[in-house]
Formats: sequence, C-alpha cells, structure tokens
Amino acid sequence: MDEPALIQSAQRGDLDAFNTLVLHYQDALFNTALRILGDDNLAADAVQDAFLSAFKNLNSYRGGSFNAWLHRTVTNVCYDELRRKKRRPTTPLEPGIDDGDEMDSPRWLADPHLTPEGQAEADELEHAIQHCLDALPVEFRAVVVLADLQGLDYTEVAASIRVPLGTIKSRLARARIRLRDCLQGFAELLPAAFRLQEERS
Amino acid sequence: MNERDLELLSAYLDGQLSPSDSLRLESRISSDPNLRIALNDLRATRSLLRQLPSRRAPRNFILTPQMAVIKPPTPRAVPIFRFATALATFLFVISFVINGLMTLSASAPNLAAAPLSASQESASAAQAPAPQAFAANAPTETPAPRLMSAAPMMTQTPIPLGGGISPTATDTPAPEIALKSNLPQVENGQPIHTQSESSVPLDLEISFGILAIGFGITAWILPRNNESNFRRKWNKKKH
Repeated sequence: MDEPALIQSAQRGDLDAFNTLVLHYQDALFNTALRILGDDNLAADAVQDAFLSAFKNLNSYRGGSFNAWLHRTVTNVCYDELRRKKRRPTTPLEPGIDDGDEMDSPRWLADPHLTPEGQAEADELEHAIQHCLDALPVEFRAVVVLADLQGLDYTEVAASIRVPLGTIKSRLARARIRLRDCLQGFAELLPAAFRLQEERS
Repeated sequence: MNERDLELLSAYLDGQLSPSDSLRLESRISSDPNLRIALNDLRATRSLLRQLPSRRAPRNFILTPQMAVIKPPTPRAVPIFRFATALATFLFVISFVINGLMTLSASAPNLAAAPLSASQESASAAQAPAPQAFAANAPTETPAPRLMSAAPMMTQTPIPLGGGISPTATDTPAPEIALKSNLPQVENGQPIHTQSESSVPLDLEISFGILAIGFGITAWILPRNNESNFRRKWNKKKH
C-alpha cells in the first residue's frame, strides 16, 4: 500500500483512495476506541465518526505519522463520547457480566484455537484488563491504550493526544502502576509470570 | 519509591532514556532490589496489556459518497438555466405588477363615481326631469355605466345640415367626446381594457410565467439526474 500516494489522492477528494486507508486502519482504530470506551457499539460509532471527520479534515494533515493523526481523531471522538456519557448516563438494557450472565460478545470468537475453558479464561482476563482500564482517568487510559495496546511510540502518542512528551512519560508510568495495582485484584486470572512478580513484591 | 523513579523505569522499559541515563539507571537497578521489582512489575503489566487480543472491526467503515457529502460536478447548463429562471420570473413579476397597476388606475374613476351615481339617480327619481334634458346633462353628472345609454340617444338626435341647430344637439356632442377620451369603455357595468391601455401584452406576461416555470423545472431536474447517474456509476465501480 502506497500510503503517501493514497493520502494525496484522498486529499484531492478521491473517496476510493480514502476507503483503502479506512480498510487498512479500521481494526486498529476500533481497538483503540473499544479500549477507551469499553463498549463495542459505542466504539463502532466512534470509529465511523472518526473516519468521517478524518475525510472532511484531511487537508489539515501535514505529514508525519498518519497512524498517529488518525488515532488523534478517534481519541477526540472518544473523549466527546465520554463527556456526553458523563452528562447523560444511560443504563444498558442487556444484562452485563456483573449479573452473572454470559456476555453476548464477539470476543468469544477471538481465538478459534482455544478450548472452551481456555477461551473462557482469556475472556475473563480480557474483562479484568478492561475493567482496570475503565477505572483509569481517561487521560491516563488514552496514553496506555495508544502506547501499550497500539504500540505507538512516545512521539506518536504525544502527537495523538497533543500533550508534551514529558507528560506522556509521566502519565504512562502512573497508568502502568495503577493498572498493576488493579490487576493484582484479579490474581487468579493472571498468567503465572505476573503472579510470580506479585509474590516477589 | 518516588514517582520520578517510576517514570524513569517506565521510560527505560520502552527504550526512551538516553544512553547515559540508561547506564546510570542500570547501575542503580543492580544495587537496589526495589527498583528491580518495580521494573519487573511494569514489564509484566506492559506484557499483559500487549497480550490483550486484538479485535477485528465488527464491520467495514468505508465511507459512501452520501456519508462524505461528495457531490458530482454541476452540469454547465445549470447556472444558465438558473439565471434564465430568475430573469423570466423577474420579467413576469414586473409585467404582472405593471398590468395590475394599470387595471387599478383605470378602474379608479368608476369606483369614485359610483356613490355619485347612486345619489344622482335618487335625485333624478325625485325630480323626474324630462328625458331630453337628462340626456343633455348626463355626460357631466352621471357615471360611466350611464354613458352607453346616453350615447345612442345622442346618435338618434337629428343633426340639421343647415343653420337651425337645436339646443339639444349643440349641448350633447362635446361632453360625449370628452368622456370617450378620458374614461374607459364600459359594457354591462364592467370596464373593457384594450391592448393600448396595458403596458405589457397579456400574451407576453403569460409567456414569461411559462418560461420561468420551464427553466426552473429544468434547473431543478438537471443536477438530480446528474447526481443519480454519478451514484450509479460509483456503485457500479464499487461492485
């Protein structure tokens, strides 16, 4: 994929070129939105809005990491959604995992090679991590999602969130420590390596 | 452990420290077990986060032209038709207003004379004047509807060829001419407008109206046709 050429074509209004970029980045953006928002449907809506906004504002992209630029767009949409949720909190109609029911979620299909038990454990661990991510302040959550889940480097994270590099370092360290403290509450779900560290500490 | 050390450890884990800072921190880690434990905790946490399964997008998020509000280029004829519509509408309105004003000004004397006519009639009925005398005075005192009845009377009046001119004949022709030139002709109480009284011929006014509607419809249909063709082509290309 010749990304710079596709971006240039998209900037001239070529929707096909932009859609090629969409197909390339949609999984990454969906995962970012999902981990920040913690909800599949909200994440899907956020990604759609982000791509729409990205296409309309494509001329404001002046080079650099396109991945970071797109992540900035989706992060902004997620922030807006979280602000909206805070103003108007809603109660889900479907029972959640806290009610003891099985979650009706595509995460069951994440790895077809796992046994049902293994899949259930992986799902519970994923839920535990998501729970701890949700417990973080949103500015910490965004940093840790972009750096540790999406693998963006510090410069890209700084460009995505528009904060100085030093702030990124500080937020990421504090977010990791908070996550560690939170995850220790789910010790039985954690891999052996993590438990060993915990025992040594 | 202070926050500064945690930040250093986190950045060290990501390879974000300068070589000199890295060396300094490594020597501290080797001598301080707390730093080593904290570094391992951070590493394990990061590893756990990285192991989080990546989920596939539940659907494709490609944009359609409708979503992106991409409009096909406007056909060149559309601005011409829009201008023609505006022009025809303007001419139609102008001609309509002019003709309307002419009609109003033409009918104004009749309206003004109407009450006068009613009072005159009642007065005439009370006094019961001679027909000849009434006919002679009619042009100056009666409203337009009476004129038609007065006119035949005038034509029926014999006009002598020689000297002896009757008082009736000498009085009546002059007011009749004056009225014909100043007032519109009336028939059964309704004014008759001739072509010469209206500034814009009625045919032309109607033509302006029809043209305005025709151009307007064309200017409305053309872009929509063009857009539907554009969408059809785009959808064909996508499949």
